[in-house]
Amino acid sequence: MRLRTNEWRRRAELTCRLAAFALLGWALFLSLRPVRELALNALVAAEELPESLRRWAIGGAPDSVHVRLDSVPDAAWRDWLVALRRAGTAVGWSGTLAPLAIAVEPVNAPAGGAQLLIAGAVGDSVAVRDAIGPLDTLRLSGAGGALRVSALAEPAQATLGPVRALAVSGDSLVPGAVLVLGTAGWEARYVIAALEESGWRVDARLTIGPGISVRRGVPGTVDTARYVAVIAIDSAGAGESRRLVSFARAGGGLVLSGIAAALPALREVAPGQSGARVQPAVVAFTAEAPRRALGFFPVSRPRRDAVALEMRAGVTAVAARREGLGRVVQVGYDESWRWRMQGGERGMEAHRQWWSSLVAGAALKRATQRDLPGIEIAAAAPRVAVVAALGDAVPPLQATTRLPGRTGPHWWILVASVLLLLLEWTSRRLRGAR
Amino acid sequence: MVSEFVFATVQYDSGDWDSAPLVPANIIDAVARYTSIPVRPSGVNVPLASPEIFGYPFAYLTGHLPVRFSEQERANLREFVERGGFLFIDDHNHDIDGAFHKTATEEIARTIEPLRELPNDHPLYRAFFTFEDGPPTTSHELNGWGDNLVHEHLLAVERADRIAVLYSNKDYSSEWSYHPDNKRFLSLDNTRFGVNIVVYALTH
Repeated sequence: MRLRTNEWRRRAELTCRLAAFALLGWALFLSLRPVRELALNALVAAEELPESLRRWAIGGAPDSVHVRLDSVPDAAWRDWLVALRRAGTAVGWSGTLAPLAIAVEPVNAPAGGAQLLIAGAVGDSVAVRDAIGPLDTLRLSGAGGALRVSALAEPAQATLGPVRALAVSGDSLVPGAVLVLGTAGWEARYVIAALEESGWRVDARLTIGPGISVRRGVPGTVDTARYVAVIAIDSAGAGESRRLVSFARAGGGLVLSGIAAALPALREVAPGQSGARVQPAVVAFTAEAPRRALGFFPVSRPRRDAVALEMRAGVTAVAARREGLGRVVQVGYDESWRWRMQGGERGMEAHRQWWSSLVAGAALKRATQRDLPGIEIAAAAPRVAVVAALGDAVPPLQATTRLPGRTGPHWWILVASVLLLLLEWTSRRLRGAR
Repeated sequence: MVSEFVFATVQYDSGDWDSAPLVPANIIDAVARYTSIPVRPSGVNVPLASPEIFGYPFAYLTGHLPVRFSEQERANLREFVERGGFLFIDDHNHDIDGAFHKTATEEIARTIEPLRELPNDHPLYRAFFTFEDGPPTTSHELNGWGDNLVHEHLLAVERADRIAVLYSNKDYSSEWSYHPDNKRFLSLDNTRFGVNIVVYALTH
């Protein structure tokens, strides 16, 4: 029995001795480990950011970080800084990060294409390119800059010095069909020609006698499933007025040309009343103001929510308003065909573009969602993304550092080692061993 | 108000452009009689060399004599067709060996492109009235003048699937050359095809 007790005691003494040596070995390791300075306030340049972030993630973050940004940090580094701030480190930035933003909008016309909208400081020269190559250089005005391209290899890119903004269009538009209702005449005939030449698919019902009409295409019921826009050239669409109102309220584009806005049922959705016809201001068409050579029915008494799109001699020639989910455009001109025929070299093309843009402005946009090819939304406005993530730019702080304490947290190792050795020695002496 | 249809007769420097002065009134009468298309009660005569021609997208040209356009007339005609105008030419001689036919077709070929036969099932023949067999025969085709042939087809220059220039050897200029009041003596109004031409021009 006595022999068994001594055996347990010896094992305990051995354990104490080994534990004491282990603690002393650990203390030796800690004392020999290289010591790094801990930053209280760290000041880093953009190019140093990746390495600094990695170091802070392993060795502890400073109390505050200030980043000098002359170029836009990658989204990953920006998000890492946000995470650092949320973990308690004050993060600020400063630098000459130029404000620049780009947006891509598909053009709502059968020919397709895209419009690039650039925002930035007035006077800045911004280089614009797509995935294939340079497109143009724009000098920004107070309204920014815009560039229309017939085809775009996404992403679109605007570059100003080291700042680069990238964008893709979020959707693509599917141009739909247009229905033209009117009396057989030159206005209907040339509006149809202008739209068809612009690429629109056009159906038409042209009245040539009581109850008799000529059909172009396969004109069907007026609804938004079939048509994106309906053009009422004159009063010939009177029989379908109620349906046209419903069409606009359901999201269709309704273009009321000439006296169509005077039809009783259409008055309730028209942007205004149809006034007495104004005679042409000039005889000859000019390239600068070609529609001055056209007579028109002014949009009189415009409704409160109507927007004047074109003024002539103090009265409104073209106006638009929203009706339900759709739009109604009132076009006072009733002989725009003269512009095409008598408007000189540019007349035909200008007439075509004008009608196509009118219809595009009114037409229901059928958008299809697209998968964005790896471009984050924040890339379209880099400075905005930085401000949203890190706040406004602030003046840089002086960088300060401190050394971590060498002995502070490790005194208990020595105490524990001494106690273990003392315990082992006392036990050994009490049982008579040496 | 809807813009009116105006029947324009083309004046050209060579030849006798005014050889069928009663045709415009007769066609205007027919268009007003059968359709609700607003139409100006009287036609106009428009020089082909003048920019005024562009104010009248429907133009009628006829004559007996050789046709030779001036450079300005050619330029205007070319532009007229490109912008979407419709030119109806009728050979008042109804003679494929006649001076008018030879020179007028040559001028069209030189100015625009050669005329081609228009198939007899073309939408022109169903634009308002239906003409199953193509262009209606005129009583003047076999009157001993001209080539004494019944011409089966009209000729045309087309642009983007529409007729830009319509050419006839059938002498509608003689067929329709009477006062509109005298239509009541006809068992079948022979100007009905004129309505088709106008309606086609206004709708295609």
